[in-house]
Amino acid sequence: MTPVWWSQIKAVIRLEIKKTFFAKRGLWIYLVAALPVLLFVAYAIATSGQQNRRASIARQSERPLSYQDLLAVQPGMTSQEVIAILGKPPINFHWTENRPTETGKEREKEPTIEVSHEDYHYSDGQSELYVGLADGKVKSIHLQEANNLGQDSIMFAGVFQFFFLRLAIFFGCLGIFMNLFRGEILDRSLHFYFLAPIRREVVMTGKFLAGLLATCTIFVTSELLQTIAFLWHLPSNVRDVYLNQNHGLEHAAIYLGVTVLACIGYGAFFLVAGMLFRNPILPTAAILIWEAINPFLPGILKQFSVIYYLKSLCPVDIPSAPGTSPVLALLISNADPVSPPLAVLGILVVALIALYASSLQVRRMEINYTTE
Amino acid sequence: MSDRIIFEDVSKFYGEILGVNRVNLSILPGITSLVGPNGSGKTTLMNLMTGLVKPSRGRVEILGYRTDDSENLFKILGYSTQFDAFPKGLTGFQFVYSYLRLAGRDRETAEQLAWRVIERVNLVDAANRNIAAYSKGMRQRIRLALALAHDPKVLVLDEPLNGLDPLARSEMIALFRATAAQGCYVIISSHILHEVDVISDQIILLSNGYVVAEGQIATVRGEIQEHPTQILIRCSRPRELAAKMLENEFTIEVSIHKDERGLLLKTRDADRFYLALNDLALNGTDIESIAPADDDVLSVYEYLIGNEEAVR
Repeated sequence: MTPVWWSQIKAVIRLEIKKTFFAKRGLWIYLVAALPVLLFVAYAIATSGQQNRRASIARQSERPLSYQDLLAVQPGMTSQEVIAILGKPPINFHWTENRPTETGKEREKEPTIEVSHEDYHYSDGQSELYVGLADGKVKSIHLQEANNLGQDSIMFAGVFQFFFLRLAIFFGCLGIFMNLFRGEILDRSLHFYFLAPIRREVVMTGKFLAGLLATCTIFVTSELLQTIAFLWHLPSNVRDVYLNQNHGLEHAAIYLGVTVLACIGYGAFFLVAGMLFRNPILPTAAILIWEAINPFLPGILKQFSVIYYLKSLCPVDIPSAPGTSPVLALLISNADPVSPPLAVLGILVVALIALYASSLQVRRMEINYTTE
Repeated sequence: MSDRIIFEDVSKFYGEILGVNRVNLSILPGITSLVGPNGSGKTTLMNLMTGLVKPSRGRVEILGYRTDDSENLFKILGYSTQFDAFPKGLTGFQFVYSYLRLAGRDRETAEQLAWRVIERVNLVDAANRNIAAYSKGMRQRIRLALALAHDPKVLVLDEPLNGLDPLARSEMIALFRATAAQGCYVIISSHILHEVDVISDQIILLSNGYVVAEGQIATVRGEIQEHPTQILIRCSRPRELAAKMLENEFTIEVSIHKDERGLLLKTRDADRFYLALNDLALNGTDIESIAPADDDVLSVYEYLIGNEEAVR
């Protein structure tokens, strides 16, 4: 690359970046990128509220309770036995029910008996126990466990893999990269570049880098905010342990790296698609289906997919729930992951192949707006 | 390096539709006008010249450069298109400045060149306004500024006078002439025939995708045998002169001018006609002036294409 080419690439980026960030037709991309952030913010708010409530219940208890104390309550116990173990309930709901007797089948002359119900709520500050009593005996027990960081990590990984990667970044890259050339053809302004003393491949590279800068800024910011929102509700000691001793920082860095690689991979795909097709629906559907059926493809074909490499890089595996159908389990799991260096190399090679195809296509492009 | 713009057996088809067919041209420096009705292939020819479309067949070469070598071609070529669209959000200055930065000029040089050319097209006051707020004439001028910004050797201008007021038109025509006088190639397409007539050194006449004629206007006119040459003679006694001229077998038709101070003659042999006229003048016939009446673009256009869509 000559210094002139580099200065031309910078000139293209300067022209493109404002258009890419502030295009009216791209405003929905910000919304898509913000959705998982909103989800985690909502989750953090809900979890914080729950924690505050449990702490308040624990403070109102007659004595400090442990998790083992909460487990000691068994069905069939009397209310006195429960109170003996856990103390007087901090929250107690009481109501009576008129239950029909066995003989009172006819509604008009329904003889009933009165059943007394009570609900006791206890908490050790982390978990919450609901004890349902009828006529003074334990009928139901429901223990809501404390927030489990492991479960939360899997939830985060699920949102990342199944929403952020496959939908948000996918469609965000579609909106930005597909418009780099197609949008200018629709606006009838592409000739501005094609009439300048600049190689068309240099224009293409500049546009790709501008798109990459925009998508990376939008989605890396989104990913950072998601991580912050995800960690926000955790007590500071738990957060420190997670970040520094349980690979939390490492995972966060990997998620950011995968986000950048996804922008590169999908960006290159949609750049070439935007040059080859007038109607974005067909290539989008084709790429979406191609990415979705990736687990079912033969090994050689799998390699020409972006998600194949991205899944291999994701730091947290999502386990299939018991009873999940084999097809769905195959979609969720990564049956034959490649090593991280190979995955990074693979995605870069796939992107380079797509960019090479774009460079061939951009040389063949003609300005004939009337046929568009 | 070639010193010509060359079209060698060039055809362009848009699917089934003919753009231009079997075009062979060799264009010299000076102002060359592409003349023809809408759809005759003028813009296609210009787009082929600038690589915006590729020939389906044949070869186009601009002063030795291939049209797909955009990096080098546009160092010597500037194109003012008819496309009335601009990159969004740019001011007039930014439009020209960005183009020069794309051309690899550093910031300072790009700024200097941009202001210089904006001054040339008389748009300094509006240079910092968004192009979206420009009038049609201003947009035309900023496109011209873009084409001129890097001092190209070849200037291709598609309907460059459209939307300009009379003063701006004459300024632009002077600009084209000055550019051509420096040995540049100025290729202009226009519907407005009297302007083409005034500014062109040579014309290329197009009809339905074919080049009907090319060359200097007088030469092209001379080659049109089926239409007699028309000559306007100004004199004090037109009826007397008309009678004398009708005695020659090469005079086909004579009509007296409305003001009774001249006559319009049609002849198939202009050379013999002028010799006969010389004799009459030497023998004392009073002749004030002689001028060809139909060796202009308008006449050539009408003879070869008909009068469809020509703007006089």
